[in-house]
Amino acid sequence: MNAINSLLVKIGRGVGGVVGTLYQAGRDTVDTVIRNIIPFMAFISFIIGLVLITGIGDLIANGIKGLAGSLVGLLIVSVVCAIPLLSPLLGPGAVIAQIVGTLLGVEIGKGTIPPQFALPALFAINPQVGCDFIPVGLALGEAEPETVEVGVPAVLFSRLITGPLSVVIAYFASFGLYS
Amino acid sequence: MNLLAEDATVGEPTGVWGSIAGGAEYFISIFQKGGEVLWGLMGGILPTLIVLLTAVNALVRIIGPEKIEGLGRKAAQPGLIWYPVRYIVLPFLAVFFLTNPMAYTMGRFLPERFKPAFYDAAVSYVHPITGIFPHANPGELFVYLGIAAGITQLGLGLGDLALRYLLIGLVVIFIRGIVTEFITVRMMAKREKAAA
Repeated sequence: MNAINSLLVKIGRGVGGVVGTLYQAGRDTVDTVIRNIIPFMAFISFIIGLVLITGIGDLIANGIKGLAGSLVGLLIVSVVCAIPLLSPLLGPGAVIAQIVGTLLGVEIGKGTIPPQFALPALFAINPQVGCDFIPVGLALGEAEPETVEVGVPAVLFSRLITGPLSVVIAYFASFGLYS
Repeated sequence: MNLLAEDATVGEPTGVWGSIAGGAEYFISIFQKGGEVLWGLMGGILPTLIVLLTAVNALVRIIGPEKIEGLGRKAAQPGLIWYPVRYIVLPFLAVFFLTNPMAYTMGRFLPERFKPAFYDAAVSYVHPITGIFPHANPGELFVYLGIAAGITQLGLGLGDLALRYLLIGLVVIFIRGIVTEFITVRMMAKREKAAA
């Protein structure tokens, strides 16, 4: 009798635990969606509406076409984003990368930029990722202040090399994509 | 909802008033277009995203993120074979299980000279991973989603792009880790020489 009882308790606990976990996961998800995802969608939708309706879109298209439609142009974009003085300014919240990504998406959709450039473009607009966050990120890793002093310039200078390099790698990796 | 309906039953207003009215219609049309886009996003990707995030969040909770701590300790060892572990496997698992920004706490198991390189590798992966696992960085989805929206509009599938982004991301963070470690170690040595 005792054995059956303890088995029932075990099963009850197990099921309760799994259901509780799933429920909590759902709660976390809806929380993130309302606090992080929908606000950004609203913001992005406004920008897309503005770009599509007004003439701004055509202006941007002309500017972007030369840059995002060729390897050399993408390399220029990545070098600019990786400049050690600019990259921490372009970094916060990846807002700039997200806006530029959305604008490029609009141009890809309109056919201004060929779709196989999507992959190298994803890397070209993002060599500044996390450059604003280096001291905090290192502090989360419990780094010594001396490490932070060396780490900040080390990461920033590394991006100047690895930023353009990532575009070249992505460019060659995009062969056979959407063609 | 159409605030200023286009199918007017009377003649269009003309003159000064007409141009003002036209301007108002133009003004509203920007937000109507934006609203259409928002509706498309909310109806299109949001439901999938919610279900996917819930499933992966539950999975992460059931597995328990503390499981990867052992790997963090192992990745601290010197030697060539630990490079891929430190700058590919560990950043991937850290970003997957701990998500942005808690992923960077895995750096605490590493010696000081590896910490900037690990941070560089981990932070560089918070966008490539979102193509397939958006739970890792739900606040910054539009780097990928923005570009992906254009591909969808052309009627092309996203799987190929998402997978390539994920894999090339791993190659890029590996290179980034190695380059940053090289620079960090050099700078630390130079600093020690100056202090001595």
